[in-house]
Amino acid sequence: MEVNNSFGPIDITISGLRAQGKQMEVISSNVANARTVDAGNGEPYRRLEAVFKSDGEMGGVELDKIVPDMSDFLEVLDPGNPLADERGYVAMPNVNLPLEMMNLNIASRVYQANAAVLKRYQQMIETTLELLR
Amino acid sequence: MSGPGNIVDLIEAGIKAESLRQKAISNNVANLETPGYRRVDIRFEELLAKYLSSSGDVDLSEIEPEIYQPKQTPVKSNGNDVNFEVEVGQMIKNVIRHKALVRLLSKKYSQMDLAMGPK
Repeated sequence: MEVNNSFGPIDITISGLRAQGKQMEVISSNVANARTVDAGNGEPYRRLEAVFKSDGEMGGVELDKIVPDMSDFLEVLDPGNPLADERGYVAMPNVNLPLEMMNLNIASRVYQANAAVLKRYQQMIETTLELLR
Repeated sequence: MSGPGNIVDLIEAGIKAESLRQKAISNNVANLETPGYRRVDIRFEELLAKYLSSSGDVDLSEIEPEIYQPKQTPVKSNGNDVNFEVEVGQMIKNVIRHKALVRLLSKKYSQMDLAMGPK
């Protein structure tokens, strides 16, 4: 994204808002699939993690990639389940709900912070425009 | 006419472009969830800069703001590429530009008023 001098902070905060929006998308996918035993590939749902990178020098932030969390699946004893193995265990997604809730809190706080910066910068510009009156 | 009239014309052209851009932004927000919709933007400043850097007189009536599809934001699963945050950012920038131009215009008029002397 191109950044020009006086509108730079606006573009940067908007990139922050968009990044946190993506993060929310990833979190909602993880929470929605917290008990998805079959993700279509014979495995339970694998938790996803958004990786961000900075967009050049002072260019804001952008989504680099969404990577699967390769930690072990949760094993739950449920012999009655048709998907249970011979020991009676069912593999469950490696989604950890308390962790997702924490990430959700962080994402919404960072979103608020970006919005606050945007608002403050807007007020700064207004101050400059007042000089034109 | 060059001189003061030219400045008023330039500001007027800018304000016109900004109103059109505001329309484009409202259109984008209205189509936030329309499948297959691509966001539109207005190309004006680049055209104006090109005209101003070229030699000779500038006829502002020749520079028409252009509507185009930037196709730069990622496309969602329904083929739509409108992002609400991006539109809000564009709107804030547009409002700032608009305010600056309107204030410049009013400054220009009060200058003319001053030149006309005590009434």
